[in-house]
Order: sequence, then C-alpha cells, then structure tokens
Amino acid sequence: MTERRFLYRLSGYLFVLPYLMLFVTFLVVPVIYGLGLSFFRWEMLSPAPPKFIGADNYREALGDAYFRQALGATFRFAVTAVPLTIGLALLLALGLHALPDRHQSFFRAAFFLPTIITISVAGLLWRWFYNSEFGLFNAYLSKIGIKVPWLTQPGWAMFSIALMTLWWTAGGPMVVFLAGLKNIPAQYYEAAAIDGANAWNRFTYITLPLLKPVLLFVIVMNIIGAFQVFGQTYIITGGGPELSTRVLVQYIYETAFNNYRMGYAAAMSWLLFLLIAVFSFAQFRLMRER
Amino acid sequence: MAVEETYSKPLSRASGRVPTSRKAAVLLLELVMGLGAVAFLLPVLLILLTAFKSDAEIIRFASIVPQHWTGSNFRDILDNPEEIPIFRWLANSVFIATSVSALVLTVDSLAAYALARLDLPGKKWVFALIIGTLMVPGQILLVPVYLILNRLGWLDTPLALIIPAGAGAFGVFLLHQFFLGIPKDMEEAAALDGCSRLGIFWHIVLPLSRPVLATLAIFTFMGAWNDFLGPLVFLDSVDKYTLPVGIALFQSSYASDYGLTLAASVICTLPAVLAFLVFQRQIISGIALTGLKE
Repeated sequence: MTERRFLYRLSGYLFVLPYLMLFVTFLVVPVIYGLGLSFFRWEMLSPAPPKFIGADNYREALGDAYFRQALGATFRFAVTAVPLTIGLALLLALGLHALPDRHQSFFRAAFFLPTIITISVAGLLWRWFYNSEFGLFNAYLSKIGIKVPWLTQPGWAMFSIALMTLWWTAGGPMVVFLAGLKNIPAQYYEAAAIDGANAWNRFTYITLPLLKPVLLFVIVMNIIGAFQVFGQTYIITGGGPELSTRVLVQYIYETAFNNYRMGYAAAMSWLLFLLIAVFSFAQFRLMRER
Repeated sequence: MAVEETYSKPLSRASGRVPTSRKAAVLLLELVMGLGAVAFLLPVLLILLTAFKSDAEIIRFASIVPQHWTGSNFRDILDNPEEIPIFRWLANSVFIATSVSALVLTVDSLAAYALARLDLPGKKWVFALIIGTLMVPGQILLVPVYLILNRLGWLDTPLALIIPAGAGAFGVFLLHQFFLGIPKDMEEAAALDGCSRLGIFWHIVLPLSRPVLATLAIFTFMGAWNDFLGPLVFLDSVDKYTLPVGIALFQSSYASDYGLTLAASVICTLPAVLAFLVFQRQIISGIALTGLKE
C-alpha cells in the first residue's frame, strides 16, 4: 500500500518530464560540456582530434591582447551605458509619476516603444543617424559648424553605442521604476508635507530608500545585460574603428564561428560567466532579501 | 508658494483642490516630458518617413519629411522576392516565435504545476537545480549547444531555434511562484469529486492563471522574435533566416542602399508596433511584475 502510494507520488514527475528532458539536454549538458571543452584544444576545421591541454586556454586568454581589449571595450560599454540608462529611466519614471494618471499611459508607451524594435532595424537606423557623410545628426550639427566623428573615432564610437542603447533600452527600467514608485504609500508623502519637508527631502528620505530594492535589482540586471552586449556593436560598428567596440561576446563569436577554435571560445565564455556570476550572486542576494 | 509646492501630488488630488502654482508645474512637466517623448518617437517615425525617400534625397538630407514621396523602395523589395525574401523571413519569424511560445507554455506550465502543487518526493532539490540555472548567461551555452545541434543534424533548421528555447528556467520560475498563490480549496474540492491531477491542472489551475500565462507568452514571443545571436549562429541558408538576421545580412550587402533597407525595416517593424499597441497593457504590467517580484 505505502509502496503504491509512493509510486503514485513519483508518477507526478511525469508532469515535469517534458521540461526536464529539454532542461537536461540543452542546459545542464551544455554547461558541463562547455566547461569540459574549455580544457581542450579543438580546431573544428582541422583533422586533429580534440586534445586535452589543461588550463592552457585560460592562460592564453589572460595573455591575449585581443581578449584584454575586448574585456576593456565591454567594461567601457557597461560603465557608460548603465549609468546613462538607469539615470534617465529614473528621471522619466519620476516625471511620469508626478503627472495625472490619465496622461501617464501615453508617455509610458512612447518611452517604451523603442524597446520593441528589433536590434537590426534599430542598429541600422542609428548607423544612418551617425553616418559622418550624410547622417541625420551631422546634417543638423553642421549647420552650427560642428562635425562629430560619431563612429569614426575610437574615442567616440563606444559613447555613440551607449547613446543608442539609452534610447533603445531605457523604457524597460522606467516601467519597473514607475511600478515601484506606485507601491510607495501616499501617506508617507502626506506626513512629510505636513512636517514641511521640501521636494528634495521627500526624494532623499522617502522615495530613494523605499525604491532602493527595486533600484538595486534593476541596476544589477542592467550590468549583467551590459556584459552580454553584442547586437548593437555588431550591427552599428562591427567592432570598429580599430576594434574599439569589439566586445567580449563578439570576440567569442568570432573565435568560435569564424576561426572555429571551439576550446578557446568555450574558455573565454567561462571567463565571461565568472565575471557575470559576481553580479548574479549579488542579484540572488537581493532576490532573497525581498 | 514654497508651502504649496510641498504638497505631494496624492494630497492635492485627494483634497480635490489644485493650487495654481501646482498646475503650472504640472504643465511645465508635461511640456518637458512631451519633448522627451518626441525624442524617443522621432527615430521610429523616421524609419517610416525615410523609407519613402529616394536614395538621392536620403544622401543629401534636407528635411525629415520627404520632399518627393516615392514608393520605389517598397516596389523594389516586393519585385525581387528571390533576392530579398522578406516575406519568407517574416513567415520564418512568425513560425519560430509561435512554436517557441507554444513549447515553453506547455512544458513550463506542466512542470511548474507539479513542482508547486503536487506532493513529489525530492521536488525541492529539482526546483533548486532549475532555479540555479537562472544565472547562467546564454553565451556560455552558445558553443556547446551549437555542437549538440550539429550532432543532432538540426543546424540550419527551425528546430535549432525552437527546441533549445524550451530549456530556459524563467517560465518555470514565474509560473511556479504564481501557482503557489492559488488557494488550495478549489483543487481539494475537485479532487474529492474525483477529478484527476491532469483534470485539476487543465480545468482549475490554467483558467485561474490566464494573466501570468499571457505575460509569459508575450515575453517568450518577443524574446524569440528579437533573438539575434541564435539565428546568426545556427542558421546558414538565406531562405531559413528570421527577420532580424535577414535584415542585418541585407544591410551588409546593400550598404549604400539605405532606402531599400529602411523599407525592409518598415515591413519588419510594423507588425511589432501594431502588436505592441494591442498588447501594451499586458507587456508593460508584465515587465513591472517580473521586475518587481523576480
């Protein structure tokens, strides 16, 4: 009887089975496979079989000038794009929150709309905006005698990518911040107003502390996303000029699918993973706190 | 005046009396936000307007609105279905995104239901393992999944983009948390009436979960629709491409032909914008929900 009862309980796993099969085949196995691969030299196009080389791939990455450059480009993107995006998203959310409810939905939709545009269309559009010959921005700027080398100078290119990313992605965090602001009880502000607190004090003593969990969560998510940037740079600059915008994911992509160095690409993916894991860990802590 | 400004918005709204300076401040804010909205919307509108310009007019930019409207960019695309199979790409995108959504909703809801509601031995460990992979970024899967798909012979087929997409843990997590919140008494009553576990899942749990299922469906669809790296790596033949990769390829081979590429972009963007206008509420509340509670 108890055995049949146990079998019945166990049979509930039939519900989980379809998902579990996919989960194991395309998530668990690839993670382990990828880790194993990172300890092998495997040039997919050469007839030589994969050869175990220990940590050589990792050692190579740490000494690889291109890897370091890609790492630097990724950091430069994160350091520029994340503060810009979060800052503007917060400003927009605060602005929206102060508007009458019936006007909010239009503005919210307007700021969110770029997010739904697919990366190749958005990237192509901004490549045209930034074009130094006949681009929209320089067409207007040249009227006041300015010509900005948006994509042609290494010093400018990553900033241009971050600016496009700001337009493309600010809507998501804005929506989350707005929902967070709406969760702050109005009584707090009423009490503060009675006590004579001014707008700045209300922001620093009520809004910011109560929004902190949401703010931290969105910032961490944004940083994790920034480390995985690929589409914008791949389409707008292709990694140039002078590799100044070739980010880690693009270098991994090229190593694996242009040069077919699968082991080395897997090792670099794991280094990227370790980098992200630091932030993921922080995110996990935040999730548990809430 | 300083005193009036310190009134918080909810207070003045609740009391039904709006001071004049407050009104002026709101008007100013609306103006600033309006300018911001124009800055965000104008690029989207420019895709549409510029697609109706001739190449000569695009290269010598004079005004935002075309001086001479022309449909030749669209005609060129529609007349060359072999060279520019944009409707093929559109069909591929629709097929792949729909299949991914159907697969994810089916396997995730079944798994999440059992893990949240059934008395499974050891389910805590299984769920912990699944949730643990939420932190795994897609990039570390790229090379190994490519090699697995290669061995399965699925590269350059839609299967390469559909089946692996069912492995993600996000949907299981989202639905699991939602199912936990459904009161148990309805299920217990149904069980007493002799309803099977599958029956309870189908007749009680799923109908109660429509909003969260819709959120998951929309997110999954949007994710598959906009996926760029996946199709770029897993597909080879031009006629198998999805829209984002097709347009990117198109852009590199017609680099000087901005008009053509923009017309293709319009064809690609219009369905997405229309879908957004229809599902706006679900999309935005879904993002707010997952961003706050995730």
